[in-house]
Amino acid sequence: MRRHLALLSFALGRGWRRPSTFVITLALTLVVFSLASTLFLTEALRREAQAAVAALPDLTIQHLVAGRPSLIPVRNLRDITAIPGVLSVRPRVWGYYFIPNLSGNLTVVGADTTIEGVRSDLALVIGRGRLPLPGASGEIILGEGLAAFLGLEVGDDVGFPVGRSTKILSVVGVFHSEVAMWTADVILMSVPDARQLLNVPEGHATDLAVQLSTPDEATVAARKIEALMPGSRIVDRHLLSRTYDLTFDHRGGVMGAMLLSALMAFLIIAWDRLTGVGPGERREIGVLKAIGWQTRDVLTARLWENALMAGHGALAGLLMAYLYVFRAQAPGLYDVLVGWSSIYPKLQLAPQFDAGQVLVVLGLVVVPFVAISIVPAWRAATCDPHDLLRGGT
Amino acid sequence: MTGPVEERLRTERLTKRYGTPPRERVVVADVDLSIPAGELWVFSGPSGSGKTTLFGLLSGMITPTSGEIYLAGRSITHLRDHHRALVRRHLVSMVFQEHALVTGMTLEENVFLPLVPQGGPTEEHRGRVATLLERFSLASLADTKIDRLSAGERQRVAIIRALVMDAPLILLDEPTACLDTENVRTMLETLLVLRDEGRTILITTHDQRLTEHPAVDRVERLVDGALVEGARTVRTRS
Repeated sequence: MRRHLALLSFALGRGWRRPSTFVITLALTLVVFSLASTLFLTEALRREAQAAVAALPDLTIQHLVAGRPSLIPVRNLRDITAIPGVLSVRPRVWGYYFIPNLSGNLTVVGADTTIEGVRSDLALVIGRGRLPLPGASGEIILGEGLAAFLGLEVGDDVGFPVGRSTKILSVVGVFHSEVAMWTADVILMSVPDARQLLNVPEGHATDLAVQLSTPDEATVAARKIEALMPGSRIVDRHLLSRTYDLTFDHRGGVMGAMLLSALMAFLIIAWDRLTGVGPGERREIGVLKAIGWQTRDVLTARLWENALMAGHGALAGLLMAYLYVFRAQAPGLYDVLVGWSSIYPKLQLAPQFDAGQVLVVLGLVVVPFVAISIVPAWRAATCDPHDLLRGGT
Repeated sequence: MTGPVEERLRTERLTKRYGTPPRERVVVADVDLSIPAGELWVFSGPSGSGKTTLFGLLSGMITPTSGEIYLAGRSITHLRDHHRALVRRHLVSMVFQEHALVTGMTLEENVFLPLVPQGGPTEEHRGRVATLLERFSLASLADTKIDRLSAGERQRVAIIRALVMDAPLILLDEPTACLDTENVRTMLETLLVLRDEGRTILITTHDQRLTEHPAVDRVERLVDGALVEGARTVRTRS
């Protein structure tokens, strides 16, 4: 133990005085930063998507017209409820409201938020203010991300153009949710207000939300609903979850593949640099061996030195990636991974720390770096100390 | 009545050749030595006479072409690399002609370098080094980088580093090349104390201040890698 501590102390003092150390540590930092940023962002988006999917109904029934989702007539509810395994069917009124000034859509949701089931469906918790009163018109609550973006607070009034008139709605509360994505663009209001704003007539809904007693049997229930409502599209929550996974895996994979090329390039450069132990370093190894260091002592010190260098680089890279993704919200990379269907206003990524991801990065960068850096030191350390001191091979 | 004198170092027909015939060069030729514990020997000879190579062989840094080396009765001739390193760590300390210090490190770090694989210096080591630094007028330079020291100061650092290990055999290759008379005197005084404690000290030099010093037990002359019988000086301690 004392030997290792002494060798570690030697490595600490020696490593940081080599001119190449700074350059290699910086290169390592950048490689780790790139790789970790992609991993962190992909995982944060995947988790966000999974959290959103988890809050969705087991089945969502949409009505298709000309192959596109259209308003669904609210009928057959009793027939659907009668299907074994179906717990409830709820018509939902929601849709997108385009705001030209923002060049973006807000998601308008009509819901009676006093119903516990509705609140849990939306996974929302009121942060400031209160929920809209039952049956009250003209009251809305906003997601905290959206409220912050629009600069709205409880008590403010907002005018929404509807046809030729303007509908005034009062902000009575600001909510936060387990699903950060929803707080970024969701406005909740009473169902009649939502119908007016989104132009959804009575007797129709945007879709029907179906809760099942055993979600594993969603496929069977979906087939029965399809038979009952020909021409409808049944969206299975599990299928949606898998689609999200595949999407982010694919995008993350593409980015990862690109970065792995950079990583390979770095390792090749590091190999090239480290394979050629310079005359100064060879002489130093010669001195150490001449004064009684064994080959394993030289290698252990070198291992510590490179591990410290790699550790510093990896730590700095991971920290930078964490700040870049979760503080700065990954400018540049975010658009690459989220794609064209980006949320507006921008989703605030929730900080996550995953030890598995850190291990992946360390395994990809630090371990190979330390391993390859040992080879040239071993080659020099097995030479005759007399030859090393005299500058021979 | 005096007991038998312990033999510290013995060589039998020790030879080192470089190259292959007809370009073969014999650097050390059939050297037979028998050096007791507690003696100070000086090896003189012209440049290229094989003094440094002889010390390289004795310290296990160079493998002999033929012959044997016995240290405290045990052969070190055919030891593997890691065992020869242990010989240099525990049994033989050496001051190199070109000092062999690690640049970029401080004086003190260099002095303690041989102790790192053993877990670093103990309090005893620190005390001994402090005394030696004081004796060689280097105490105020302990934290100075080696690169900033003069040749004479580096020479003294190399000597202190060799003495810190407390090895029974100390080899000094041209240790006075950069030292003034005062420092030669300090070095000799220090070495003589160690000799009297039982250590064997071998020095290669051209320096008459050493070859003619009355405290030196024996002066051997090396020419073309071989000891010159007729040039041997043996002094008897009073």
